[in-house]
Amino acid sequence: MVASVMLCAAGSAQQESMSRAFELERRGNYAAAAEAYRLILATKPGDVAALLGLERALLPISRSPQILPQVRAALVASPTNPAIYGVALRAWAADEAPDSMRAVALRWARIAPGDESPYREWGAAALSRRDRAGAREAYALGRERLGRADALAGEMAQLAVADSDFVTALREWLPAVRRLPGYRVTAVATLAQAPQDIRSDLLKSLDQQDDDFTARRLKAELQVRWGDPLSGVKTLEPALPAEKSKAIEALRGLLDQLRSQRSREALLAQGRILEAIASRMPDQQGPRLRLEAAQAYSAAGDRDAARRMLAGLADDSSAPGSVSSGAAMTLIGVLIDEGKLDEASRRLAGVRAGVDAEDYADLERRIVLGWVRAGDLARADSALAGDSTVEAFALAGKIRLYRGDIRGAIERLKAAGPFAGDRADATHRTMLLALLQPIETDSLPELGHAMLLLEQGDSTRATSELEKVAAGLPPEKGGAELRLLAGRLAAATGKSEDAERLFRAAAVKDAGAAAPAAELALAQLLLARGRQNEAVAQLEHLILTYPESALVPQARRALDQARGAVPKT
Amino acid sequence: MKRREFLARTGAGLLSLSPALSRLPEWGSGGPWLMIPMDDAQAEHLKAYGVAYRLLERGGRAEWLLNYRNGSFLMPGDSVTERDAALAGVTVEPMDDGQVVQIRGQIQQENMDAVPLEKAPKVAVYAPPNAPPWDDAVTMALNYAGIKFEKVWDAEVLGSKLKLYDWLHLHHEDFTGQYSKFFLNYAGSSWLVDMVERNRAMARSLGYPSVPAEKRAVAVAIAQYVERGGFLFAMCTATESLDLALAADGVDIAAAYADGTPMDPDASARMHWNEALAFHNAQLELSPTVPVYSDIDGHQVNSPDRRQPLGSFTLFNFSAKIDPVATMLVQNHRQVIPDFYGLTTSFTRKTLKPSSTILADEPGAPWVKYIHGEHGQGTWTFFGGHDPEDPQHQIGDPPTDLSLHPHSPGYRLILNNVLFPAAKKKELKT
Repeated sequence: MVASVMLCAAGSAQQESMSRAFELERRGNYAAAAEAYRLILATKPGDVAALLGLERALLPISRSPQILPQVRAALVASPTNPAIYGVALRAWAADEAPDSMRAVALRWARIAPGDESPYREWGAAALSRRDRAGAREAYALGRERLGRADALAGEMAQLAVADSDFVTALREWLPAVRRLPGYRVTAVATLAQAPQDIRSDLLKSLDQQDDDFTARRLKAELQVRWGDPLSGVKTLEPALPAEKSKAIEALRGLLDQLRSQRSREALLAQGRILEAIASRMPDQQGPRLRLEAAQAYSAAGDRDAARRMLAGLADDSSAPGSVSSGAAMTLIGVLIDEGKLDEASRRLAGVRAGVDAEDYADLERRIVLGWVRAGDLARADSALAGDSTVEAFALAGKIRLYRGDIRGAIERLKAAGPFAGDRADATHRTMLLALLQPIETDSLPELGHAMLLLEQGDSTRATSELEKVAAGLPPEKGGAELRLLAGRLAAATGKSEDAERLFRAAAVKDAGAAAPAAELALAQLLLARGRQNEAVAQLEHLILTYPESALVPQARRALDQARGAVPKT
Repeated sequence: MKRREFLARTGAGLLSLSPALSRLPEWGSGGPWLMIPMDDAQAEHLKAYGVAYRLLERGGRAEWLLNYRNGSFLMPGDSVTERDAALAGVTVEPMDDGQVVQIRGQIQQENMDAVPLEKAPKVAVYAPPNAPPWDDAVTMALNYAGIKFEKVWDAEVLGSKLKLYDWLHLHHEDFTGQYSKFFLNYAGSSWLVDMVERNRAMARSLGYPSVPAEKRAVAVAIAQYVERGGFLFAMCTATESLDLALAADGVDIAAAYADGTPMDPDASARMHWNEALAFHNAQLELSPTVPVYSDIDGHQVNSPDRRQPLGSFTLFNFSAKIDPVATMLVQNHRQVIPDFYGLTTSFTRKTLKPSSTILADEPGAPWVKYIHGEHGQGTWTFFGGHDPEDPQHQIGDPPTDLSLHPHSPGYRLILNNVLFPAAKKKELKT
């Protein structure tokens, strides 16, 4: 009884000592904490918690080697505890005693045959001293003693990455990932850092691994990381295992790598992966994935693929409501993009009851715009006839403009006000008004034709037509504005010399607001072409000649950037 | 030149500029004057310093009207300055002789003064050749204002090139040679690897056994530059680490990773504070893993359990006629300015030498923000914190775009320092 009370008292005292030591450590009093842990270890040398505490406390005060007496005592007291061997390895590493590290690692290996831990910890302790050669020796010896070619492969791979030896890293990662699939993410992340010039060699070496799904998957993910998503999909698809759950897991892994990419290739690849997943999913989950695939294809501009995904889905009464209406809307969008406006109108009329009114109106206006782009202004007018929204006024203003009715266009664009459509629409409308208002002629069919060409995407013809119209107008009566627009189109299509000529022609003193705008555009063009000094002179001229222009702050900013006074954004 | 002489010459300069007595010959056309107001009427406070600086660079002269409309500049009206101001967006007000006489009368009667600006100071910025992943407020301010500067590093400092410059700026530098104590926490980062390699290579090439030994030699050379009459302006870690390096004469204050030997556990007691510029009696941080040097810094931003929140600091109001130097350094259109962190954010009052002049502090707090002092024939000014317009600047953050902060009162304090040597006619003794 007395003995048990004494034991309890001793246990309680031990606990108190640990709490005190831990508190000292928490407060940053590392020297005192180290002493407190030492006191505990003096009575209980095999106490792993106290030994680890002592190790933590000595590290911040650069006294790690001073743990060695306690480590030796702990190894005697508890010779089979792996945690003590780990501390021992780190302590001798801190003491820069590689022979002792080796001896203690081998002693540990003797009591844990077949275990990688002694060699892994030995290597890690060496790496903590930035001793890569020591780590390599530890892993190599481990592999030899364990008699397995894939032993410590993950460690070897990381060592190779640190040496920028990506060929070896890949060779090591493959068996490591085969043994432990969780390594795949790290393997891809580290191999993705490989420099451009050796990437194709790395991919070739993955091809040499016959019928190995791990290698195919690794290759696919690296191709995606290196900006070739479609090749990644092509690599993975034929290698997918028959077991659906494994195939879906691999496809989703590739999709995750692609989610943040918005290039056309990435969207196409997303569509293909979603399509592949949908084909492996149970019936009730397939339609939503097919819709997602269709949306990805549509965003990538692959209308055939989008239509293939949507086939049957839009009219499928068994599909969930949101899926079928989403599919119908996506399909109508595809039809509009394909120029199949009659079919789009018919389908849109058919889904009127099932879709949101705003989405419906949006698609209606897209159809009107489709007729405009097709050059059928009469059809566009009649399609818009029943619409009295501000968005319709904005669209009607454009149609008037394309007919050459300048006054009618200005009236309708003004009536649309500042809130029709999104911000880009509003800005575009303001730009059109600024272009048209100085023109005193009520009707100018040549300008309407030039602007319609622009709407239809024919920038080259639009530029030359605009320049011709501008030649017939005085600079202050719209001539300068039209030259400025033509210059911007020329600049956007890479015709820098034409752009420069047009900007210079627009930047005449009596051109009103168009003159500083043309000077700014000219300066930006010169900057883009590396003609820094000319750009600076142009910007200075703008600021000093048109001090009241609203563009002066923008010009000052461009001047600051040209001179390196502010960071480029 | 001693400070006494400076004041005497400044007084003489004022007499010569007084319209009642004489007019400087090169200004004597009787044409209109230009005033660059520095109160809220100013559209571009920071670039205004550049306009004044470039006028001096062209051989012109100006006056800094201390405490008049928050430190305005008066200069003869000329088309080049007007053009320069227009391009920079700096507000200028044309003045006739009558208005200028009226202003001078007001300056004589109130706590104001007019200091002639005579010479554009030659500016050097101490910076490593590579670009570290943090910005430098002074470099950004100089670039934005259009004030020319040259970069110097250890080889130039130890090669006696500082004598070519009037003004030297130090920013986020660690003169204890411990790589801002990021060595352990950012191990493996490419920028840190590069920084370590460059510093080690430089120490080797200059024949020093370790980076801390070489950095201390640089710190001593900088202190000698000030002693010979140079103007030193330091921000962030450069303030604290410079003084620690200077005081660590024969004391190992660097962690083992920096020089191969652990820091002397009794370093705090063995420091030679008489060799430091601004601080004394500081307690050094012993842990190599805590990115804190000592208790000089009041905010301890990188120590979670000691970190203090940011407040605001208040500029002191000095007598312009008696103490023009301190007055110049605090010219501003705001008296209370939001604080901002840096590896060294502030300076604890208990570690300030009695000779250090406090220019700004946080009232009621145990720390101050902005200090100034003399050393030999020169002066030093220390400003805590990293970037006045990015209160919690992190490693890797993009640099601040000063065109978004043209009225920044914190950046104005930096530019006061750049222009302050222009008020002083001097030659460095070498």
